[in-house]
Amino acid sequence: MTTETITQAPAPVHSRGNRKQARRNTLIGWTFILPNFLGFLAFTLIPVVAAFALSFMEWTSFSAPKWVGLANFQRMFASDSFWIALRNTVVYALGHVPLTMALALILAMLLNRKLKGIGFFRVAIFFPYITSLVAVAVVWNMLFSPDSGPINQFLGAIGIANPPGWTSSSDWALPAVIITSVWRDMGYYMVLYLAGLQAIPTELYEAAEVDGASAWQRFWNVTIPSLRPTTFFVVVMLTVSSFKVFDLIVVMTNGGPGRSTTVLSQLIYQEGIGEGKFGYSSAISLVLFIIVLTVTVLQFKIQQRRER
Amino acid sequence: MKRTTLAAIALAVTAGLGLTGCAGAAGPAEPQAAEGKTRLTVSVWNYEGTPEFKALFDGYEAAHPNVDIEPVDILADDYPQKVTTMLAGGDTTDVLTMKNVIDYSRYANNGQLQEINSVVDKVGKDNLASIDAFDIGGKYFAAPYRQDFWLLYYNKDLFKAAGIEEPKNLTWEKYTEIAKKLTTEAGGKKTYGTYHHVWRSVVQAIAAAQNGADQNSGDYGFMEDQYNTALDLQKSGATLDFGTAKSQKTSYRTMFETGQAAMMPMGTWYTAGILQAKKDGKTTVNWGLAPLPQKNDDGKVTTFGSPTAFAVNKNASHSDEAKKFIEWAAGEEGAKAISKIGVVPALQKESVTAEYFKLEGLPTDELSKKAFAPDETALEMPVSDKSAATDKILNQEHDLIMVGERSVTDGIAEMDKRVKSEVLGQ
Repeated sequence: MTTETITQAPAPVHSRGNRKQARRNTLIGWTFILPNFLGFLAFTLIPVVAAFALSFMEWTSFSAPKWVGLANFQRMFASDSFWIALRNTVVYALGHVPLTMALALILAMLLNRKLKGIGFFRVAIFFPYITSLVAVAVVWNMLFSPDSGPINQFLGAIGIANPPGWTSSSDWALPAVIITSVWRDMGYYMVLYLAGLQAIPTELYEAAEVDGASAWQRFWNVTIPSLRPTTFFVVVMLTVSSFKVFDLIVVMTNGGPGRSTTVLSQLIYQEGIGEGKFGYSSAISLVLFIIVLTVTVLQFKIQQRRER
Repeated sequence: MKRTTLAAIALAVTAGLGLTGCAGAAGPAEPQAAEGKTRLTVSVWNYEGTPEFKALFDGYEAAHPNVDIEPVDILADDYPQKVTTMLAGGDTTDVLTMKNVIDYSRYANNGQLQEINSVVDKVGKDNLASIDAFDIGGKYFAAPYRQDFWLLYYNKDLFKAAGIEEPKNLTWEKYTEIAKKLTTEAGGKKTYGTYHHVWRSVVQAIAAAQNGADQNSGDYGFMEDQYNTALDLQKSGATLDFGTAKSQKTSYRTMFETGQAAMMPMGTWYTAGILQAKKDGKTTVNWGLAPLPQKNDDGKVTTFGSPTAFAVNKNASHSDEAKKFIEWAAGEEGAKAISKIGVVPALQKESVTAEYFKLEGLPTDELSKKAFAPDETALEMPVSDKSAATDKILNQEHDLIMVGERSVTDGIAEMDKRVKSEVLGQ
């Protein structure tokens, strides 16, 4: 009798306690993410939603926003500056993503071996990434200086009669910016690749060697497939960062000469913060958001299909 | 128990964060002043590097012991954007400094400033340079205290060495001719005849002022001669190449203070800079001032400039005190206070000019004095709600012409087309 009551009685208490415990755990969970979530809410989520709404309005920040429907988008698609900025952004991404990826992989392969002082070389390659971006931009600007810059002096010395004008030429300014950004970013992605390379079991290489695979075949059939998750991550990160590029270009060329290096995020800044057309600039940022979203979703789809 | 404690700590931390967050957003509601004193807040840029602010504030505090002035220091490059954001958020800073007339018209037309006709009347409209730029339908929302305009700086030693007499009554043709003569190269060190900084105003605002043209017109044929002059100087090597100056972010101060350039068209704000550099022993340049070269040789000097003004915020905490401060700063006492450090005041009176030329280190020859009294000073950029958008386009096309990507004719045609379609047509 007593034992029965004892065994029966705790059951409801226990489940009540369980629920209480679960609720408490949830509460603790929430409190832990709350500080971060509040920040995210106030400085990211709400502004993003507000920007979405603003893209259908006209707002100078002084007076109440006015509903204008699709006028901002009509204006944007009819504007030269928008198409030039879009083209520049795409060209930048097409140059920056594959070049950074290829160089990062090559460097990672070179530095993925036991060698005296390997730590030094790895740090040296990673260094640009932790250097102040403004310093990087200013120094590269000087290197690219058309008359007295070391790059053109070198090109002159090896017999190139008409070296490019780099940042002072509208044809070469974008390549100059791409070169600088590749140099800066490759160290970071090299570290990612290095981690990926070290996770490949050596048995795979040994087995391939036993089967008589050449170095090239080993690279193509063992390294590349094993690195697929890393490569996917690198491509997504690089693409997103390429579309968002802003700081490097502002310091190096400020979008010039003319509009030859103006990118979308810079156009958003100029139109919004510079000229106070917040509705119009929100519309451009909405388009940029859709482009980045589409490209990223596409990359995920391709990755999924490959894994199947 | 332990878990409860943890949860409690987490909650407390969160609440704390939230609270500090709120406090941060609200800011100090009412600035605390010492007993019985009014604390007047004034928005300024680069307080350390812009000594006129300190000169004005110290002077005013000395004359008005019951007022404490607190500068609200803002990064110079971000100044207009930051003030816009502040005003949109209902900021209560008392006095707002208007860095240029384009921003002024934006704030005034959006109802962010108080009308201060009474202040302007007391200071006296007739003596205030560029006061017309602040007239919005008979109402004034700011009073200028400082007026910069452009003139020609030149290196007396380099002129003497080349046997060229001081640059009196220059036309642009004559200027080009002597710039070429002054260009030398010896022992691998090049001295340029002149230095044109990369700003578009060096070509465009000069052309507009001396042709009486409007930079918001969408019709830029008047710039052609000035561009040809600038490009000719660059092609002949008499000035540093535009692309190099831009990519190396060349400092115009270094060009002139190290004697790398014998002449330099530049604004009057630079006199305070040279005086300071000489005082600190950073340069030994033997400098003089001359009027800006002219289009015609009729002896009339036309230049361009830009006033800086103080305005009262619509939401000011101390409107009356703010108006009193502006009346003092734009008036004779304020003008004398900034004259003493080499800043050109907007108030033009003989007593003030005399104060200015008492400055130690300022060249006192006749030509330098003449340079300080141009016959006409046009506005650098007209006051209009279109000015900001036009400015951007003119800047972009200026770059392309100066690096030689577009011919002068094509560049001007492009400016016409773009301003008409992107600005005037909107």
